[in-house]
Amino acid sequence: MRQLRLREVKALSRSHAASWPLGRNSNPRRSDSPRKSRILTASLRAAVPLQAPRGLHCSAAAHNSDSWLVPPWPEPRKGPTKALTLHEELFQQTLEGARDKANFVRAVQNFGQHNVHKRGHVDFIYLALRKMREYGVERDLAVYNLLLDIFPKEVFRPRSIFQSMFIHYPRQQECGIAVLEQMESHGVMPNKETEFLLIQIFGRKSYPMLKYVRMKLWFSRFKNINPFPVPRDLPQDPVDLAKLGLRHMEPNLSATVTIYQMPSSRDSTGTADPTEPHIVGIQTPDQQAALAHHNPARPIFVEGPFSLWLRDKCVYYHILRADLLPPEEREVEEIPEEWNLHYPMQLDLEYGRSGWDDYEFDIHKVEEGPVFAICMAGAHDQATLAKWIQGLQETNPALAQIPVVFRLAGSTGELLASSSGLEEPPPPEGQEEEEDSQQRQQQGQS
Amino acid sequence: MATSGCMGVADLLRRAVAARASRALVAFATSRRLLRTSPPSRAFAKELFLGKIEKKEVFPFPEVSQDELNEINQFVGPVEKFFTEEVDSERIDREGKIPKETLEKLKSLGLFGLQVPEEYGGLGLSNTMYARLGEIVGLDASIAVTLAAHQAIGLKGIILAGNKEQKAKYLPKLASGEHIAAFCLTEPSSGSDVASIKSRATLSEDKKHYILNGSKVWITNGGLANIFTVFAKTQVVDSDSSVKDKITAFIVERDFGGVTNGKPEDKLGIRGSNTCEVHFENTKVPIENVLGEVGGGFKVAMNILNNGRFSMGSTVAGMLKKLIEMTAAYACSRKQFNKNLSEFGLIQEKFALMAQKAYVMESMAYLTAGMLDQPGFPDCSIEAAMVKVFSSEGAWQCVSEALQILGGSGYVKDYPYERFLRDSRILLIFEGTNEILRMYIALTGLQHAGRILTARINELKRGNVTTILETVGQRLRDSLGRTVDLGLTGKLGAVHPSVADSASKLEENVYYFGRTVETLLLRFGKTIVEEQMVLKRVANILINLYGMTAVLSRASRSIRVGIRNHDHEVLLANIFCAEAYYQNLFTLSQLDKYSPENLDEQIKKVSQQVLEKQAYVCAHPLDRTS
Repeated sequence: MRQLRLREVKALSRSHAASWPLGRNSNPRRSDSPRKSRILTASLRAAVPLQAPRGLHCSAAAHNSDSWLVPPWPEPRKGPTKALTLHEELFQQTLEGARDKANFVRAVQNFGQHNVHKRGHVDFIYLALRKMREYGVERDLAVYNLLLDIFPKEVFRPRSIFQSMFIHYPRQQECGIAVLEQMESHGVMPNKETEFLLIQIFGRKSYPMLKYVRMKLWFSRFKNINPFPVPRDLPQDPVDLAKLGLRHMEPNLSATVTIYQMPSSRDSTGTADPTEPHIVGIQTPDQQAALAHHNPARPIFVEGPFSLWLRDKCVYYHILRADLLPPEEREVEEIPEEWNLHYPMQLDLEYGRSGWDDYEFDIHKVEEGPVFAICMAGAHDQATLAKWIQGLQETNPALAQIPVVFRLAGSTGELLASSSGLEEPPPPEGQEEEEDSQQRQQQGQS
Repeated sequence: MATSGCMGVADLLRRAVAARASRALVAFATSRRLLRTSPPSRAFAKELFLGKIEKKEVFPFPEVSQDELNEINQFVGPVEKFFTEEVDSERIDREGKIPKETLEKLKSLGLFGLQVPEEYGGLGLSNTMYARLGEIVGLDASIAVTLAAHQAIGLKGIILAGNKEQKAKYLPKLASGEHIAAFCLTEPSSGSDVASIKSRATLSEDKKHYILNGSKVWITNGGLANIFTVFAKTQVVDSDSSVKDKITAFIVERDFGGVTNGKPEDKLGIRGSNTCEVHFENTKVPIENVLGEVGGGFKVAMNILNNGRFSMGSTVAGMLKKLIEMTAAYACSRKQFNKNLSEFGLIQEKFALMAQKAYVMESMAYLTAGMLDQPGFPDCSIEAAMVKVFSSEGAWQCVSEALQILGGSGYVKDYPYERFLRDSRILLIFEGTNEILRMYIALTGLQHAGRILTARINELKRGNVTTILETVGQRLRDSLGRTVDLGLTGKLGAVHPSVADSASKLEENVYYFGRTVETLLLRFGKTIVEEQMVLKRVANILINLYGMTAVLSRASRSIRVGIRNHDHEVLLANIFCAEAYYQNLFTLSQLDKYSPENLDEQIKKVSQQVLEKQAYVCAHPLDRTS
């Protein structure tokens, strides 16, 4: 019942200006019904003492005095409390259906319907935030707005400078910030509706609003800050993923991606038959030319696997490279005298650029040997990579004369346990591989 | 009837020219030699890089004798009549080829052997006379290009580098037009990059033949020609007995066998000229047909190309004059708001522009031709390149403006303007693109200046106190606003007082250009080759300077001799000089170090980013981040 009364207080104070003169000249005869007049007087009585202390509430005091508003719940993530299990039912009801947006929205709406007074809405919002990932709605702005909409409006708005100076309704504000924080961590940009809701709920001078303004500011600046953007949804097919990774590593747009071997069986989970893993390679025309000019007396190396992270997935690649030529073997590129028909390619002068116009920084450069090609394969053993080299020979005939040495590392140096999105944890060895692929299938289903 | 008439004229002219030649040769030679006793003088353009004006080279404006003028006018008349009355340019453009009867008449007029010496059956015209005829030939771009490909580059190699037997064997038939020549240099993989030429000529076992294999692209007259000047790689034993691949030029007849050509290219403009691929497959070329030395093809090609360029100036000027006539007639008859178009300022401006450009390029072309006609094979390749760059860009600009005067009518095929526009676009591209020629102009001049300034710059770099003090003092005096006097103006000066103001502008520009060149060499040294944007500016200034010199020289002569309408010339000259002066000032200030006008760094960055992405980098204007 107290809850009910408070709601009415709030309703009243919303129409403060209109109701105030009525309250001051409260004349029982003028009121239409006895019930309304009772509520009016009661609410006014409640409102006057409440206004003053609420402005002075600091967080501790607020906890005590507002404890009748929201059931106490000291740490949101400490474990299931009574309230949590209570609201869990709302989600349990939808469990038999698919875990999708429609059911999530239904659960949220059920909360509103079953709980007209929005009792325990903070707990419910915390719970819903945790459930969002399961339902695959963690990047859905509309759902976040729906969650914010659960908050009662106008209740938590500070009404004086003192209220806004000290955190007004801290638990609610914290919860609002939690919603925005989850949006932030999933890269969801709040929109006008979010802003409108926050103003309605917490008012303009509140911490969630500050958070919102900061998000608005920094999100737009950081959104496109990565010069090498990775698509948000990575392709599931390992071949497509390999293509993406290779393109990501090779900035030269004229490079050609070649699929040397398709996986023999491709199912939805993207696991291939280990005997016929996919082999995808990339090579630029410049690399092709460099390989053609490589001295066949010097061996070239297949090295790897090296790891590449694409969002939460890790893929492994191998490179074909050679050692740096010793200085005495390097050919100095000279400008032939009869080269350009139209204008001299070099001037016959004794002096060069003056120091004042030499803007080259004195950088100590470490020279490395040339990389001739990169590949990503489903397996990291020598047999698979030999197939890659075979495939490369079609476009690089010079490769047939050059000895190729395989220098494959036993491990990738990555922590296998920690990388849940691991595509193919090397080294592949019979039994382990089996288990791994099973694990992966399970992960894919879960 | 017409054919025989033309034939008659050509014969007459040929006889007259021959007679004149034999009559006047001795006297002529002696008189000219007497006038110029000094050793082959320094080229004008190169001296500009040192901040000097070689007055002797450019003042007074070159003249031809009255006899020569009469002769050429006799010849020009019928050719002009033929071009204005009989050549159907619209049809040539539509059908994509020059009709046979038109070609026959061109041959009978003698237009195929204009510069072939008389003893080989040509007209042996001087460069000035050749330029004069170019004005008329320029009325039809397809014919102009066909003729230029035949004689400015196709058979030029035989005239420049051929031996007596080769000349006697090929030139008569080429001069008469019985055979048409083509110049085969460009290959799919090689434009200006001669090192990547793939065509190869190998000596046969009996050492009497070369076996030629390869393909050439963009060969003008490739489908019509019987004689090809072909450049191919041959193995040459060097002085240090190492075997090297070098370019050799050959004269190849179509009858040697193995010569085929592709179908004509479908082009934007000059559609009447024949451009196609030419393939050589095991073509047996006798060793007598090597043009110049074995392995000396690079120089042959360079000489041919450097010599052919100056004539574009007069050709374009001829076309522009015609264009002015046509558009002026339109502007004076078309009424809008009860006024003739000719009364609107923005239309008047366009006519002034066309007149100015025509005047400048004409002056440059005839000045260059006059220089080239001086005895002693003067090297005027920079000047010729400047004429080409200026006239091709002027042509494109003026034709576009002429089309604009007509508005929508200019855009439809009922009027010839769109054809002129299409035809003039090629001028910026062929005979060396303007970009490449700018590099040539700037680098050749800087090489010359760099050699002469070597000692001075070395002293400066070493920190020689007197040289540094001298330079600093000079700069101080410059910055305090000294008046430059290079001796053009004043009493008995080279230019007439009516254009003295412009002349002092030129002097000032030349002086500061010389200073800037010195600074640039000091700053960049030989690495200036990589600073293409700097080089472009140097070339632009030089082109302006040359144009200013040409118009000043010509206007001064016109006033002094009392040419008709010389006051109009003075106007044009003064306008051009003022415009060019301010342009030059701006460009010179861009060449300063830390110049705020110079945006090269930013420009380079932009292009780098665009090229890295190979796309327009900016997001769409409607994109949002939220």
